[in-house]
Amino acid sequence: MKRGVGKSKSGQVTIFIILAIVIIILGVLIYMFYPQIKTTLGLGPKNPQSFIQTCIEEKIEDSVETLSLQGGSLSPEHFILYDNSKIEYLCYTNEYYKTCVMQRPLLKAHIENEIEDEIKEEVKECFNSLKESYQKKGYSVNMKEGGTNIELLPKRIVATFDYSLTLTKGESEKYESFRVVLNNNLYELVSIANSILNWESRYGDAETTVYMNYYHDLQVEKKKQTDGTTIYILTDRNTEHKFQFASRSVAWPPGFGG
Amino acid sequence: MEKQKTKFIFGMLLVCILLINTSLISAEVSYCCEKTVGGAWCLNDDLSQCDSDYRSVPTSCEATSYCRLGTCIDTEAGTCVENTPQVTCSSDDGGFWEEREASELPQCQLGCCLIGEQAAFVTQTRCKSLSSIYGLETNYRTDIQNEIQCIVSAHPDVKGACVFEREFQKTCQFSTKKECQEMELSSGYSGVEFHEGYLCSAEELATNCKSSKKTTCVDGKDGVYFLDTCGNLANIYDSKKQKNIDYWTYVAGTGGVEVCEVGSAGCGNCDYLSGTTCKAEGGTHVCADLGCKYEGETYNHGETWCAESEGTSSINLMSGGIITTDSSKENLPGSRYFRLVCYNGDVTVEPCADYRQEVCVQSEVNTFKTAACRVNMWQDCYAQNNVDDCENSIKRDCKVFEGFSVLKDEDGSSLFVTEDAEEASCIPRFTPGFNFWEPGDAESTCSIASTVCVVDYSAGIGKALAGDKGDIIANAQCVEVCVKEKCGIVEQVWLAIKQKILKGEALLASCQKDCYDGCMPDCVYNGKLDKDKWAKDMGDMCISLGDCGSSVNYIGEPGYYDLDDFIDIGGEDEEEE
Repeated sequence: MKRGVGKSKSGQVTIFIILAIVIIILGVLIYMFYPQIKTTLGLGPKNPQSFIQTCIEEKIEDSVETLSLQGGSLSPEHFILYDNSKIEYLCYTNEYYKTCVMQRPLLKAHIENEIEDEIKEEVKECFNSLKESYQKKGYSVNMKEGGTNIELLPKRIVATFDYSLTLTKGESEKYESFRVVLNNNLYELVSIANSILNWESRYGDAETTVYMNYYHDLQVEKKKQTDGTTIYILTDRNTEHKFQFASRSVAWPPGFGG
Repeated sequence: MEKQKTKFIFGMLLVCILLINTSLISAEVSYCCEKTVGGAWCLNDDLSQCDSDYRSVPTSCEATSYCRLGTCIDTEAGTCVENTPQVTCSSDDGGFWEEREASELPQCQLGCCLIGEQAAFVTQTRCKSLSSIYGLETNYRTDIQNEIQCIVSAHPDVKGACVFEREFQKTCQFSTKKECQEMELSSGYSGVEFHEGYLCSAEELATNCKSSKKTTCVDGKDGVYFLDTCGNLANIYDSKKQKNIDYWTYVAGTGGVEVCEVGSAGCGNCDYLSGTTCKAEGGTHVCADLGCKYEGETYNHGETWCAESEGTSSINLMSGGIITTDSSKENLPGSRYFRLVCYNGDVTVEPCADYRQEVCVQSEVNTFKTAACRVNMWQDCYAQNNVDDCENSIKRDCKVFEGFSVLKDEDGSSLFVTEDAEEASCIPRFTPGFNFWEPGDAESTCSIASTVCVVDYSAGIGKALAGDKGDIIANAQCVEVCVKEKCGIVEQVWLAIKQKILKGEALLASCQKDCYDGCMPDCVYNGKLDKDKWAKDMGDMCISLGDCGSSVNYIGEPGYYDLDDFIDIGGEDEEEE
């Protein structure tokens, strides 16, 4: 009798374990393919504009967050490790006592290109999912691929997708392009970074309090490293958005540096 | 003698290190790498460091076409970035490279861009770019040639009460004249009238908007503002004028209405630069203090001060220099200066350059502290040979150390002698740090303080063997040089003086006596040999040069060596080093 109870208990445990594994797998799948699953199940929004916004927004946000912590590049080539982040040098010299040379004079354009490249595949997938979802709903879908354009603007990031989409089910609906707007002040932080870099390249240093006096919601931190590198961390106090970058200019050696 | 000569030559060499350091580096660096294997653009480095997929030529980057420095103009944004190599200014990204400096380029000339209610001191292209970004008309004024004048020129649009009828009720919106006119055209409300300088709560406008006790914070402004019953902005909160009719009638600055003084009780005129700003607290809005608390002390918003960092000096410009003076506890190996910054209630830490190549200096005006990391100018201390040059605080951070000279001529005589005829050295006021655990110049720099003290005794060999060394006598060679130069003594007279010296007899002539006293060994104090004092003095000298000698580090941990490890005491006929 006791044995029987033991067996049934162990059987229940096995079932619970299997159930738990199934739930975990389902959770992972939902997490990974949420927009697509939503579309397949017919839960997605009817408006294609909203569909694209939902589908791509997170990817753009993630890219922006990553590159903001890495000096504006998603895969920094020339960087210093700080707090487990690879922070790219935006102005650099390998010599002592000398001012730095600008590495990314067109930083805003570089960041826009980085985001564009990063989301390219995701954009295609999103539009394909959009197409599939409408086809499953009985629409005749005519989609023409176009370019992607990212623009950093004051207080926002605008992604424009020049995809044309025609949905026909009785009557036709035509969409010439799609726009995704993110509330983000990377434009402002990049402008301030450019100003700091101008000081670094001219004088080898920048005064943080000048920027904090002028921009009330801005925190500027300056962390000088042993090798002469300076890491600047710009933080918007309201949104907690950060932009950090490195510069090595007018570095002093230990002793005479001989 | 040979050792002294070597030391002199070495000392001179060391003094020149700083001057030739840059050229030494340049000499090692022979290639201009368009891109390095590490991903950096335009560096002078070894060929092995150049990325082979990019250009590299055996010359300085300044001499190449691709890495020459110039100004990169962002043709779209209208910004100019100097110190930019040509190769990084890509036209694909809207860049246009010019070899000239920004100040020489017409595209980079700054003017005042008046945009909306604001102003920016930018290039004309930038002004146009801002106009398109914000969708506002701009007025670009080239006659305004500085930023402050430009900002002062920004005039906010005059605001007032925009009165109109809605649902048979006379109501109001506080706006600019332009906004009011737009409302008239687009809303379809009847009886739209703009009353410049009036608040919506003005009784004479007879609207449904009345004064209230409600307050609010306004985005982009520091103050606490009253709101009327319609939710329109009124004047800055002032507890004394809550029921003042004029204060609820006219916009501050018109009709004789003035706002309360910043910082006065019951006043919502907060000011960020004075350390307050509007914040919502407990259901109301107040001028919140932006000051900070740090280690039990209170600091004002905007204050910066030097951290009490272990093993560093406390430098206060107002009190005339260093506060703490115990050199054995200051500028120790591993110590570093830090500046602390209080802004918006947060304290941030800014490390000064490592190895004490920067020091933190602080001043105070009316208890408001200001600090900065500034360069430690110690590099040419050792080359100074007089007190005035050594203590010239505008040019360098050095101090005089009496009793030993690192500057000696070929004969071993000190090149730095004080007014009291003391041998001296000019040493760093804030001892720099060295990376002594790596190959470098630490050992060679420290070794300039290495010295030998030879003590001669008057007794002959016979007496000495019997245990009587006699009196300590001055260094005869040193005395010879001195008396011949300063006292005009000829060779024959010198030989007689020498005999006196060797017998330990006193010299009577004042000039000769001065020479004799000046040529006593460094380790002899008041005619007596004091090895311990000499060792301590030399030890102090040693640690004053940098991270040299026997010292504890910044957390009080002793180093690898004791002072005794650096002192080699010889016996008779041997040297004490």
